[in-house]
Amino acid sequence: MKSDFLWVKVWNYIVSKSDFWLSALGSHVQLVLWASIIVIVLGVPIGIFISRHKKLRDPVLSVIGVLYTIPILGLFGFLIPLMGIGLKPALIALTIYGLLPVIRNSCVGIENVSPSVKEAALGMGANRTQLLFKVELPLAFPVIFAGIRTAIVMNFSVATYAVFIGAAGMGTIILVGMRTFNDGMLVAGTILLAVTTVLLDRLLGWLEKMVQRKYGMENLK
Amino acid sequence: MTGRVEVELQNVSKFYGEDKVVDEVSFQVKQGEIFVLIGPSGCGKTTTLKMINQLVPHTSGSIFVRGKDVTELDTVELRRSIGYVIQYIGLLPHLTIQDNIAFVLQLKKCPKKKQRERAMELIETVGLPLSYLERYPRELSGGQQQRVGVARALAADPEILLMDEPFGAVDPVTREQLQNELLRLQETIRKTIVFVTHDIQEAFKMGDRIGIMRGGKLVTIGTAMDIVKERDDFVRSFIGQGAVFSALDTIPVTRALIRDLPVVKKEALVDPAQPAFKGWDYAFVVDDRGQSLGYISLAEMEGPQKIDPDKVEPLPSSCLPGDSLKKALEEMLWGSRAWLPVVSEEGSFLGIVSFQSCASLLAG
Ligand SMILES: Nc1ncnc2c1ncn2[C@@H]1O[C@H](COP(=O)(O)OP(=O)(O)OP(=O)(O)O)[C@@H](O)[C@H]1O
Ligand SMILES: [Mg+2]
Repeated sequence: MKSDFLWVKVWNYIVSKSDFWLSALGSHVQLVLWASIIVIVLGVPIGIFISRHKKLRDPVLSVIGVLYTIPILGLFGFLIPLMGIGLKPALIALTIYGLLPVIRNSCVGIENVSPSVKEAALGMGANRTQLLFKVELPLAFPVIFAGIRTAIVMNFSVATYAVFIGAAGMGTIILVGMRTFNDGMLVAGTILLAVTTVLLDRLLGWLEKMVQRKYGMENLK
Repeated sequence: MTGRVEVELQNVSKFYGEDKVVDEVSFQVKQGEIFVLIGPSGCGKTTTLKMINQLVPHTSGSIFVRGKDVTELDTVELRRSIGYVIQYIGLLPHLTIQDNIAFVLQLKKCPKKKQRERAMELIETVGLPLSYLERYPRELSGGQQQRVGVARALAADPEILLMDEPFGAVDPVTREQLQNELLRLQETIRKTIVFVTHDIQEAFKMGDRIGIMRGGKLVTIGTAMDIVKERDDFVRSFIGQGAVFSALDTIPVTRALIRDLPVVKKEALVDPAQPAFKGWDYAFVVDDRGQSLGYISLAEMEGPQKIDPDKVEPLPSSCLPGDSLKKALEEMLWGSRAWLPVVSEEGSFLGIVSFQSCASLLAG
């Protein structure tokens, strides 16, 4: 009886407070979107760069790896004194988490392109840029995209904590739900977060397939 | 061969650290020639080949391509001007066969339409159906991929081809077929080819001249017949017992081909007193497309006259350009003839082989 009551409350929340949670979702998505753009724009080139400079490869990967293991609240502890609260430190935190999978996969993806294929391209007169854009990136794409997908999906859940640093998002619903002992709101927030995360992952998976098909790369595996 | 020198190595060496993997190698390859590099695994064949297009920079010595020192050329331009068939094929797995073949053209930013046309032309040249252009490399068999590898090397119509065991990954039957097709193609394209193999039969068959390598050194250079007569112990053991006979069995008749013949177009006006016919009793008659029609007796002509189609005798049994010397000699013996016409599969008249031309080849 009690649990029936909970589900009714959850349902009521979702239906009646749709403006509120939709706007929270909107801020959440925006935060993740910006962080992902920064992560891709920084991470892919860094990954490519360290795949070409073996001396930098391991130091960079281990520094990023250490940053990645700092718990989110610990990271906030660093960031708040430096830049206060709000969107900016939240963005930086997400960027730091997202970089590891993107840098690592970009580096490994490029490294794993078969030497004989690269040699063929060079032998036919590809210059460095052509080798990168016509051979290495397309062939490393599945691996790089897998890294990007991991980063985005992970950031989507990590972004829930952004509320602790004063940035709005799905975390707001959960936090407000907890503070006001509104279990309908709390569970609704959790369900919405879980569902949107799964949907996002699916969407990215579908996108990955589409792009691979376009480049004929489904034939590779 | 009297053509101009297209590729020349002068005392070229390559060190990897302390290892001297290519040791003071020198050779010249002339226009239209197939120069074969052969030797046991790890003797430096691939390294030598890659130094020509500077995929591997040489440590010392000089390399000239079309008379220019390669170190003074732009490497990207140098490579685009040389066709390269790499060992283990190396097709680009994410591109269709069409894009693989046209890859050099794409690098050179040729228009899409031209790329497509060239790919269509070349896929036919290497004997694959047009529909394969849409496929991906892994949808092709090893032999088919090797054909694509050859087509790709030809895309920019380079004067020079480097071929590293281009037929390495196929069964003996397909291999022979591919060899014959390349030789036939070479009849028309006349490229300068440096061809790497470790199969002596293939070397005899493909090479106008053959260079044998061992431990980074070029031990000997010569025609197949020079090689089989070589006294050097390593060469003798490398080419094996009965090399003369296996050479006869593999050297194609084109090696003993007499091309400098009186050939006339049908319905042409012919003057037997012309200098071109001096010393010849017969002239060979072809149609406008070079297809062989037969031969005509010059001795029976009195003064200049138009060719009378009734007087044109059909050619006696002929042989194909890819046939071996042994086969041609057998044919001559059986037919009690001193010569045999060589006609391509499409029916073009290429020339003749005679006992004499075979003997002078054998005698070196
Ligand atoms: N990048 C490299 N670094 C160090 N040594 C190398 C390198 N490439 C080739 N070698 C060595 O140089 C020697 C010659 O190699 P190469 O590939 O030219 O042989 P090959 O005659 O083509 O042999 P195969 O018939 O097996 O293809 C070998 O001993 C090889 O181990
Ligand atoms: Mg080799």
